[in-house]
Amino acid sequence: MTELLRADGLTVRFATEDGPVLAVDDVSFTVDEAEVLALVGESGCGKSVTALALTGLLPRNATVGGQIRLGGARLEQSRLRSVRGKDVAYIFQEPMTSLNPVLTVGTQIGEVLKRHQNMRGPAARRRSVELLDLVGIPLPQRRLGEYPHQLSGGMRQRVMIAMAVACRPRLLIADEPTTALDVTVQAGILDVLRTLRKEIGTAVLLITHDLGVVADIADRVVVMYAGRVIEHATAPALFDAPTHPYTRGLLDAVPNPARHADGGLREIPGRVPTIRSIVEACTFADRCTRADEVCRTRRPDLEPGPAGHPVRCWHPLPVAGGTA
Amino acid sequence: MTVVADPPVLVAPIGTRRRIWRRIIRNPLAVLGLGIVCLAVVIAILAPFVAPFPFDKVDFSSPLQPPSGEHWFGTDSIGRDQLSRAMYGLRASVAVGLLSVVLSLAVGVPLGLIAGFYGFFDPIVSRLTDTLLAFPFLVLAVGLAAILGPSLTTAIISIGIAQIPGVIRVTRGETLRLRGLDFVAAAIAGGATDLVLLRRHILPNAVSALIVQATVAVPGAIIGEAVLSFLGLGVRPPTPSLGVMLADAQTFIRDGPWMAVFPGLTIVVLTLALNLLGDGLRDALDPRESRP
Repeated sequence: MTELLRADGLTVRFATEDGPVLAVDDVSFTVDEAEVLALVGESGCGKSVTALALTGLLPRNATVGGQIRLGGARLEQSRLRSVRGKDVAYIFQEPMTSLNPVLTVGTQIGEVLKRHQNMRGPAARRRSVELLDLVGIPLPQRRLGEYPHQLSGGMRQRVMIAMAVACRPRLLIADEPTTALDVTVQAGILDVLRTLRKEIGTAVLLITHDLGVVADIADRVVVMYAGRVIEHATAPALFDAPTHPYTRGLLDAVPNPARHADGGLREIPGRVPTIRSIVEACTFADRCTRADEVCRTRRPDLEPGPAGHPVRCWHPLPVAGGTA
Repeated sequence: MTVVADPPVLVAPIGTRRRIWRRIIRNPLAVLGLGIVCLAVVIAILAPFVAPFPFDKVDFSSPLQPPSGEHWFGTDSIGRDQLSRAMYGLRASVAVGLLSVVLSLAVGVPLGLIAGFYGFFDPIVSRLTDTLLAFPFLVLAVGLAAILGPSLTTAIISIGIAQIPGVIRVTRGETLRLRGLDFVAAAIAGGATDLVLLRRHILPNAVSALIVQATVAVPGAIIGEAVLSFLGLGVRPPTPSLGVMLADAQTFIRDGPWMAVFPGLTIVVLTLALNLLGDGLRDALDPRESRP
């Protein structure tokens, strides 16, 4: 498959009142065409910031380093605006508040079509109906005249997706698109993403902390922790053989009635540290049961681990020999 | 009763226009206010046809007549019918009330949007606003009118200018609030330009706050016109205005108190009606009230 997006050594620093924060530290990954890449990690690990940096949507106090290439061409920060909404579309987490309450659905979709494809009038209307149909909204003709408050959360998220894909973007960045929705609606939204990939060949960068969603739809997974990529594998490989202790912890933390017969939930003690500058240590060391002196004094590199895929750990977990 | 409510929508969608109208209709005080305001506007427009006498018809045979069947509001010192004069006076009130508010919106809304949206303009606009706000409303209006020279246009311009800071404040505040909301961020992510953001996403959502601001501004402007005319800085005699009538009444407060009472009552009733209408509108536009 051909490579669509490449992030190389992406670094994001914020200047805050409490001093600098290094939110993204040397993150590199690629997204192939029509591929679903999941960016996984707990809150505060830098996954949303990474996605925002790709579209130039970070607040003013952020400094972005590194390189972004889209379809082989280098994207300067100043050019990101022209790509936004056209080649790279973004879906936000909050469907309830991401639509303008005073404009009808039709007007809002029409606005996007006018902006990027100079399409208006009956043509835009036809296309809007097609789009709503594509994202699985029944009675699309009628929905066009409705206001966001007349739609349910799942419907609104579908409308958001319809607006995002209106211009057939090559990459769709979905920032926790299902987090605010209940499980049945979630499944519907994931179906929509799958349809999009099949029908218009859109690649998806899926940001989530829900490993169930990852297992359901992702081809490859990038696990982030405290601004760094710590493990990078195809989805099956990651679920079969997690080699970073943090990934293992994440998988263990997924509620599983069969495994936790006592009804208790497993968690990783502690929380994500705030990184202020480049740390010459493993950022997970303080929460890791396998950590030793090396982990606290030297920065591990992202290197092929025991299972063959890259992992950033001094003491990766061995691959369970056939018993798993 | 358990209701699974949506998170509160922060602005009343325009799509609920019919619902807003229904809420006003169901509020008796608002209907009363609306009725009086409409009546006043109709009288102002049709003054030449509905007034029982020409406003300048002098009748030396019946000066300072108390209210009677012929002269409902009595007559003044040179026998002019006070009811007719009050009816014509409403024209000045309505003109100033509407036009000065239109002027303040036309200037204040763009400035407020720019100040709220572009951080680097904010200090300039906000300091200007603070400077204007440092003067009490009437002092500012009177000062401006004194510079411009007395006329109806002066009243409109000076009151309009005096109301600009309030409009800027409201618009700027709404812009700041709306700019941080998800749908604006979503529009930016969709590639919307600043102009589209302001025109399509921010301004329409600020409208309900501006309507409320305007309903406070109109009665203020009407009182302002009366004050300016009373002081001789607005409408000049012999053109009638409620303020001019009050000024004329000063000399005759003992012999013809009705000369002061009726124009004064007219101002009170009109501004009260506007305030009732404004309160009704505010309630109707408040999205937190989920009555149908």
